[in-house]
Amino acid sequence: MPTNQSVSNFEDFYEKWTAQQKLHLDALVAASETPQSSQNPSYVCALVKSVVDHYEEYYRMKSHWAKQDVILMLSPTWTTPLEQAFCWIGGWRPTMAIHLLYSKSGLQLQERIVDVALGLATGDLADLNSSQIDQVDKLQRKTTMEEREISEKMAKQQGNVADSDMVELTHELDDDEEKVESILRRKEEGLEKVLERADDLRLRTLKGVINILTPSQSLHFLVAAAELHLRLHNWGKERETKERDLSAA
Amino acid sequence: MASVCYGGETKTSTPVEPSSKSARKRRMEIHQFNFVPADVAVMSPESGRKSQKREASSLDANSREAEAEEFQKKCLNVLESDSEGSKSDPEVKSAGPKFGLTSVCGQRRDMEDAVAIHPSFSGGSHFYGVYDGHGCSHVAMKCKERMHEIVKHEVENRTNEEEWLETMTKSFSKMDEEVTEWSRNSGQLSPNCRCELQTPQCDAVGSTAVVALVTEDKIIVSNCGDSRAVICRGGVVTPLSNDHKPDRPDELKRIEDSGGRVIYWDGARVLGVLAMSRAIGDNYLKPYVISEPEVTVIDRTPEDECLVLASDGLWDVVSNETACGVARMCLSAKKPKSPPRTPGNEISVSAACESSDKACSDASILLTKLALARHTADNVSVVVVDLRKDL
Repeated sequence: MPTNQSVSNFEDFYEKWTAQQKLHLDALVAASETPQSSQNPSYVCALVKSVVDHYEEYYRMKSHWAKQDVILMLSPTWTTPLEQAFCWIGGWRPTMAIHLLYSKSGLQLQERIVDVALGLATGDLADLNSSQIDQVDKLQRKTTMEEREISEKMAKQQGNVADSDMVELTHELDDDEEKVESILRRKEEGLEKVLERADDLRLRTLKGVINILTPSQSLHFLVAAAELHLRLHNWGKERETKERDLSAA
Repeated sequence: MASVCYGGETKTSTPVEPSSKSARKRRMEIHQFNFVPADVAVMSPESGRKSQKREASSLDANSREAEAEEFQKKCLNVLESDSEGSKSDPEVKSAGPKFGLTSVCGQRRDMEDAVAIHPSFSGGSHFYGVYDGHGCSHVAMKCKERMHEIVKHEVENRTNEEEWLETMTKSFSKMDEEVTEWSRNSGQLSPNCRCELQTPQCDAVGSTAVVALVTEDKIIVSNCGDSRAVICRGGVVTPLSNDHKPDRPDELKRIEDSGGRVIYWDGARVLGVLAMSRAIGDNYLKPYVISEPEVTVIDRTPEDECLVLASDGLWDVVSNETACGVARMCLSAKKPKSPPRTPGNEISVSAACESSDKACSDASILLTKLALARHTADNVSVVVVDLRKDL
């Protein structure tokens, strides 16, 4: 099951990782649909852990490849234009995880509101208690703040594309390859640091949500996360196919 | 942060975050549904005005109406089957009425709501205030810090003949003066105030204020802006405040008489800017936007069930009736001994409290969750006060 590091590029890894995510989704759905009374707690915990480990592995690999080619990681060719339209620094916006939680929780709450008001356990995300709401709110504020800081850092890097080194370099009639290489390398280093922070925040936010939720609530959240990722990817591919067919016709 | 508290225990932290640019709030159209079941009378002075708006409402609103209707039926079924027996335990009677408070940032990127609760703040009176800031959070925070002190001073110095309207008008006016004075000396701005970067605009910050004083025999609600207080009494829902919207006919006239204009720009706005006609602060919109409150005084009765105060983050997506339906349900729910609620995270805040105290908090949390579920675009602050007296 673990996708090893011997893959030749990130795109191949991404394909394998997504295939594994589909398997996880099936397992998560099955477990989340089992009534809480007949759930095996240690199985649920193990499943949640293995899914979170799977995300961790994704970011470990991403970091590995970012060191080889940060430019590619910031313009991921393995995702579709639809997904790229919602991209924030080479991936999903960290606060999106909280929006996802609120949306899923909201849908489940509206279904079971009377039970919740009467204090009956629903076992899903309708059940968020006061302490959890409190923690989610704190997590959201912290994440929003960090997200802003990282956006600022990215703004700085993007502004640097027109710094005096670059302007001087682009003014020269003939390329001094060595000089070009060295200046671009410095830019890449800056971008790499920002991407690393962005990915770190993404993973921490995801884990932060899981830490707030009970294992059986986590199942529902992870289902929603995987569904959103996989479906958006599929819709993006379908759009691409349609556009290709249209332009061919 | 979310503040969650029961009885006299309050846990809060400063909800201010920096932001690059302040954005004017988009005030969503309030949708109210007027489904009136046989045993729930609805008294809403706003219903006429709302119905005009509803003609333009979308399919989405229609489906929400159906949803709300469905929900109301569910609530009623539950309430009917659950008899009136659940009076609270006299042993846990504390200094003031039981209350629950939830305040969350929600889907917005900045927290501009503030809530202040002070049981027994003056003699036998209890203070509940909800402030929803705009432009930045510092006026709302200042209200949270100071309003109850100002009100206390005014209440303790009022003569027997003085009307509540006068007392509260003086209080709001002093609060407004303080805020104006304070923002003039903007050197003192708190370091995490996001508007510090744009000091000249410091005047363009304000807050709503809805304040309820609960005394032994009366409830006094003073309101300025579009936060709202409603009471549930014997199954009847009554708003105790009337939102100050620029298109409310009397408010529109007042604004125009003072030389101002209401411009429709993403809803009715004073000078095309502010989507409410009264507020604390907003010095740049004076005299069109005033800080004078409207005050409602009612006698407490044995039928009183609960008081709900909330910012428009709740009222934009949850009607008065639904809010009270949910609150009543939580207050009257007999918590089953089994099955237990989800184990694991039921810690910290709740651990120190008697379970019967939890009902109000359950109500405020559930209302907040319902607002989030209905995709409120705003911060959500909800206070639920249990008005049932232990007899």
